[in-house]
Amino acid sequence: MDAYTEAVVIRLGIAILLALGYWITAATGKFSFGHAAFMAIGAYTAAILTVNFEWSLATSMLISGLTAAVAGAFIGWIALRLSILYLAIITFAFAEIVKILLDSWDYVGGASGLFGMRGTTVELVAMCIGVVIVYLFFLARSRKGLSYEAIREDEQAARACGLGVTGISVEAFAVSAAITGVAGALSAHETLIITPSQFGAPQSLLIILFVVLGGVQYFWGAIVGAVVLTMLPIWFDFLDNYYQITYGLLFVVLMILRPQGIIGRSTERRFNLGALKKLASSRNGAGRDG
Amino acid sequence: MADLQMRALDITKHFQGVAALTDVTLEVERGSIHGVVGPNGAGKTTLLNVMSGFLSPSQGVVELDGRDITRLTPQKRVPLGLTRTFQNLRLFGGLTVRENVLLGQHSHARTGFLSLWPLRTAGDKELDCEADHALESFGLTEYRSRPAATLPYGLQKQLEIARAVSAKPRLLLMDEPAAGMTAQERLDLVPRIRSLRDEGLTVVIVEHDMDVIATVCDVVTVLNFGRSLIEGTPADALSSAEVRTAYLGT
Ligand SMILES: Nc1ncnc2c1ncn2[C@@H]1O[C@H](COP(=O)(O)OP(=O)(O)O)[C@@H](O)[C@H]1O
Ligand SMILES: [Mg+2]
Repeated sequence: MDAYTEAVVIRLGIAILLALGYWITAATGKFSFGHAAFMAIGAYTAAILTVNFEWSLATSMLISGLTAAVAGAFIGWIALRLSILYLAIITFAFAEIVKILLDSWDYVGGASGLFGMRGTTVELVAMCIGVVIVYLFFLARSRKGLSYEAIREDEQAARACGLGVTGISVEAFAVSAAITGVAGALSAHETLIITPSQFGAPQSLLIILFVVLGGVQYFWGAIVGAVVLTMLPIWFDFLDNYYQITYGLLFVVLMILRPQGIIGRSTERRFNLGALKKLASSRNGAGRDG
Repeated sequence: MADLQMRALDITKHFQGVAALTDVTLEVERGSIHGVVGPNGAGKTTLLNVMSGFLSPSQGVVELDGRDITRLTPQKRVPLGLTRTFQNLRLFGGLTVRENVLLGQHSHARTGFLSLWPLRTAGDKELDCEADHALESFGLTEYRSRPAATLPYGLQKQLEIARAVSAKPRLLLMDEPAAGMTAQERLDLVPRIRSLRDEGLTVVIVEHDMDVIATVCDVVTVLNFGRSLIEGTPADALSSAEVRTAYLGT
């Protein structure tokens, strides 16, 4: 593999990891708008450990995952009991705050960031994806995975069945954050340099698009979304300045033709008026008819 | 003396200043089929939401087996033996019929923190068998792999009861089980509810339809404008002058 191909494959792998991580929280119907923050937490944690403390990359990645999981559990515990509109606002604000803190923290180089990280290999990325896919394979077949789907389908009905909706969502959110943190660590040790601005809203949005494009119903939909969205800019390179608009148009057309994403049953309507209405209503209101 | 299983005591519930319930008391005897009737907007669903924990009352106390559960969330009441169905079906429409039943068993499934065991089809033989049994006895076996939303309405209603019963409750709250059913399905509903009671369940039925109440209930509470009008046997309650005016007046 030449260096260029290797770089593309690693980027693709990290995108897949990000998409799979995000899929776990999306599977419970909870959309975060600040997952780049968990990437940043993972990236900076690992970078500090490998560069300043000369830890091995593998160990540092584990610590990154744990740190991101703790942050995820904390934010989830605050925001997941609220309506999904508040969840969106709180996760977005959290990501901005993380960025501002990193910007003003001299120890990690402030706005100019950290550099000198290396060590991400195709094998390492593939191994992480492998572990996550095995986890998701069993999750999708487990009663726990079923409870995620139940919460996505109807929270009130889930509560009536005795599901602790907040606890289950927080667990999913923390696992999601952990995987995102590991992806961040891998990404940091591929790009050699990290700055807070890499982990802004555009990165969060890109992660969401992976999953929305692929569809939330099956986890491999997220893989498809990540591959398509990572390869499109490369394939459409010849379009030059027009690629973004082509890209945008493709997206609009797809969302009209297949609102459930590329993968997923067509009876499912993920983006409909009902979903918009649900956005605004708190889950604690039992509604007029309970 | 009567063996009380559940008691909603002096329940008052306001929605933005409007009283949906005023000082309503409901005492449910163990092993009984207790009906709650009243015209539309009388507060029946609100009372059921308060009893199941989906709404907290502005005033009043809810007790289950003598224990104050007023502040417990719905999901914490399920392991105590209290489940419910909804007036306008709340199934997991995109999930299969069997998955809906599996979810009903949630409070009995031992799914630990971060643990992916048991699976949907393996890992807990006992629960899997019970799920198959529930599908069987509600006539849903042949639909087990179909998404719940694709079932005819009557079967969806059956599935919702099957899901609620799968939690192995001791008290089942049903909100208008007969609504939207065909005449035949209504006829089938009565023995179904009786057999649930015979299996040891206490049943509270909120119903708009007088016929179902009159045939199946041991005790009836009549609500009107958020107040309890009368409580007694179906014959007494439904023939009282107050009830006639309440119904004819709307
Ligand atoms: N969530 C709510 N917000 C505001 N008003 C409500 C709500 N739920 C019920 N109500 C009002 O409370 C009254 C009783 O409603 P409900 O309990 O649904 O009656 P029933 O089930 O007997 O038809 C109605 O006037 C209704 O408009
Ligand atoms: Mg009602």
